[in-house]
Amino acid sequence: MGLLIITVLVRILETMLVVGATGSVVVLVLSGIEDLKLLFGREEQNYS
Amino acid sequence: MSSFGPTSPSNRVRIVVATSVMLTFISYWRAAAIVLNDLASSGFYACGIAEQAVGKSAPWFIVAVMLFSFAVRAVYVESCSMFVRGGVYKVVKEALGGTLAKLSVSALMFDYILTGPISGVSAGQYIVGLVNETFITADIHGWIPRAVHNIFHGTPHLNVNLTSVVIALAVTIYYWWENTKGIQESSEKALRVMQITTVMVVILLAWSAFTLLKAGYNPVPLPIPQNLHFSKESLGFLSHSFPEQDLAKMFGLLGILIAFGHSVLAMSGEESLAQVNRELAHPKLKNLKKAAIVIAIYSFVFTGLSALLSVMLIPDAVRVPVYKDNLISGLAMYMWGPLILRLIFRAFVVVVGFLILSGAVNTAIIGSNGVLNRVSEDGVLADWFRVPHRKYGTSSRIINMVVVLQILTILASRGDVYVLGEAYAFGVIWSFTFNSLSMLVLRFKYKGERGWKVPPNITIAGTEIPIGLFAVMLVLLSTALVNLATKSVATVAGVSFSVVFFVIFTVSEHANRKKHALAKEHMKDHFQLLQSDTVDRGSLGIRPGNVLVPVRDYNTLNHLRWVLEHSDTREQDVVVMTARVSQFGTAAYGLSSEQVFSDYEQTLFTRAVSVAESVGKRISLLVVPARDPWSAIAQTAHNLESSAVAAGISSKMTAAEQAFALGSAWEAIPEPKKQFVLQIVQPGGIVDTFRIGPHTPTMKNEDVALLHRLWLNITREPGLENVHHHDILTQALTRFAHDYGARDHDNIVKELGRHSAADGPLPVRRIADQIATVQPEPTRPDRDEGPQSPKE
Repeated sequence: MGLLIITVLVRILETMLVVGATGSVVVLVLSGIEDLKLLFGREEQNYS
Repeated sequence: MSSFGPTSPSNRVRIVVATSVMLTFISYWRAAAIVLNDLASSGFYACGIAEQAVGKSAPWFIVAVMLFSFAVRAVYVESCSMFVRGGVYKVVKEALGGTLAKLSVSALMFDYILTGPISGVSAGQYIVGLVNETFITADIHGWIPRAVHNIFHGTPHLNVNLTSVVIALAVTIYYWWENTKGIQESSEKALRVMQITTVMVVILLAWSAFTLLKAGYNPVPLPIPQNLHFSKESLGFLSHSFPEQDLAKMFGLLGILIAFGHSVLAMSGEESLAQVNRELAHPKLKNLKKAAIVIAIYSFVFTGLSALLSVMLIPDAVRVPVYKDNLISGLAMYMWGPLILRLIFRAFVVVVGFLILSGAVNTAIIGSNGVLNRVSEDGVLADWFRVPHRKYGTSSRIINMVVVLQILTILASRGDVYVLGEAYAFGVIWSFTFNSLSMLVLRFKYKGERGWKVPPNITIAGTEIPIGLFAVMLVLLSTALVNLATKSVATVAGVSFSVVFFVIFTVSEHANRKKHALAKEHMKDHFQLLQSDTVDRGSLGIRPGNVLVPVRDYNTLNHLRWVLEHSDTREQDVVVMTARVSQFGTAAYGLSSEQVFSDYEQTLFTRAVSVAESVGKRISLLVVPARDPWSAIAQTAHNLESSAVAAGISSKMTAAEQAFALGSAWEAIPEPKKQFVLQIVQPGGIVDTFRIGPHTPTMKNEDVALLHRLWLNITREPGLENVHHHDILTQALTRFAHDYGARDHDNIVKELGRHSAADGPLPVRRIADQIATVQPEPTRPDRDEGPQSPKE
């Protein structure tokens, strides 16, 4: 019974890690694209 | 204009409380340097600790943590882009409630307090490692005298852990005193340290690449469960239930998570990003993002790559046994090249390590002080802690408490970096977790302005689902939970610490609630707080040409009395201001008026009003939050179009130094700006007067005579009959500026140095390449002169 509870808890943690890590990769890619645009994108010109 | 006297609502003294902190803004490079001083210091010890816990594949986990720090950084950027008021306690309280908010602040405090000991002890390990290595090399060459040999019964050596403790204590005590005196955190210093560190990193990477080509490398085992070798200590409470090497095989992913948890302290320092945010120059969000990119890339390159290189280049036989606590030094010693060059580079690594790690000790004291000040402002720490130091005006009681805790931690660790690192990880991971959890909850609860959101977000049935934020929070929470089980030292120390702080906060909050209710009643009777985002004449209802009187200590208000006695307030308004100084580390969020106007300000202004009443004149009262009091005074004088600033003499600076500090702050104000007069009123009624900003200098009689002689001679020249004295000065100054900027720079500096030495010390500190704008008047006692107006 004890091992079962531990196994369930461990699986929950592992699921959190997998879901979280996958989502974090998406965050990394999307914010990375924004960063590249910020660093290498053309500055907005003010012609006024 | 304010009034005083009876306590009917209309006659209450009006106090304008500015809630926007008056900051001296910094570029994103400087902001990145400040954060990196904390973040990059982890690179000196993180991999050594991780390898002891999980084995040879630790560098991959450090790399993973550094990549994940890009996502954590996104959470901090979002938190910084929210326009909320209150300290970290108030913000978390809004999201998660009072209990979790107190726990969150406790975890943050644990993080800050542990930063000092781990950095100090690590700096000691690097120094002692170098000294012992030098002894060994000297002994091999027969340079150690026999007598010294006999004393040490062999090659001389220092006890590594004991000496590290002594060095850590010395550094901590040094910064305790500096903080008690009230040193300013300088972005200039941080930038210099990072420039030197960058030189070291470039040499390290280039030389490592060369060594890899010449001498080959050891492969770094991939981060898979079979390659994880947990030590008994690294499994913490789980070590009693599971044989260490079976655990990873039983639960493959759990092993990965445990290893990740042991490496997470590599990103400690990321939280400093939130604290430099408010000081970033316009455009703030764009600069914040740029600073965040610089920080993430730099820490990835330094911490991540140096971790990989240490396993690739340092042989297994010595890496953990000899260099576990000074891995970068070990890397220097295993480069391809002559021993002497390697030793020189190692010495350079130690110098850089000492600079950055001892800087982190300072950051830890400043950060802890800042967080506790804010917590005190939020009402969960007794006001007693915030009473200013009698002489230096700093929150010395908080500084003392923080440093005592740090010293106890250093002594308890006995110089063991691994133990400190394990405990430190508790504060790091839980403060990140609470922050991400708060941000997630605030996505649904907080409806105010937000500059940026962590991507991706999808909208279902009109509700925005913050997928990215949720994902980052999941990784942090799962790591924090696993660490609770596997880091027994951290869990016991962290939980005990948090419980103690939780109790202190709860008791203080309870006591403060009663006290503040009484104080509020008193306030309602006497003062009327008017909140204003910015400082201007309109909000105070005053006229241009007013006199600004900065006050700090309610026991020294002589200068206010002097100003009131010498002014006609029907003609010239007198504004009494106090700068509520928020140190570095407190500027993550804006301030509410209750935070700015505390018990102390109430007592201070009650005394100021008493002085005004005794003289029978009116005053206006103003509180401004600021990072630097000089900058606050200069900006306020500028915004209020004051003609004079009348200050008391400082206990730390001479009148001329005060003038120089104010002059420097005035220089930082963008054009157009007006000059004003600074009057320093000394206790005996002696007044030193200075003009702030460019002004006509006072000329000596002999200089005037010389000018006149030149004019006489020049006007005798044909065609120059109409030349004026000022034409000669213009010509002379133009030529001087040309020579100073080009060929004769050094000679001019030398000449001026000689001249000033002959005339006695200059009244203000001079830097060769900086033209000071402050000059004292030649005559000193102006006893009977009132506040002045600037003369052109």
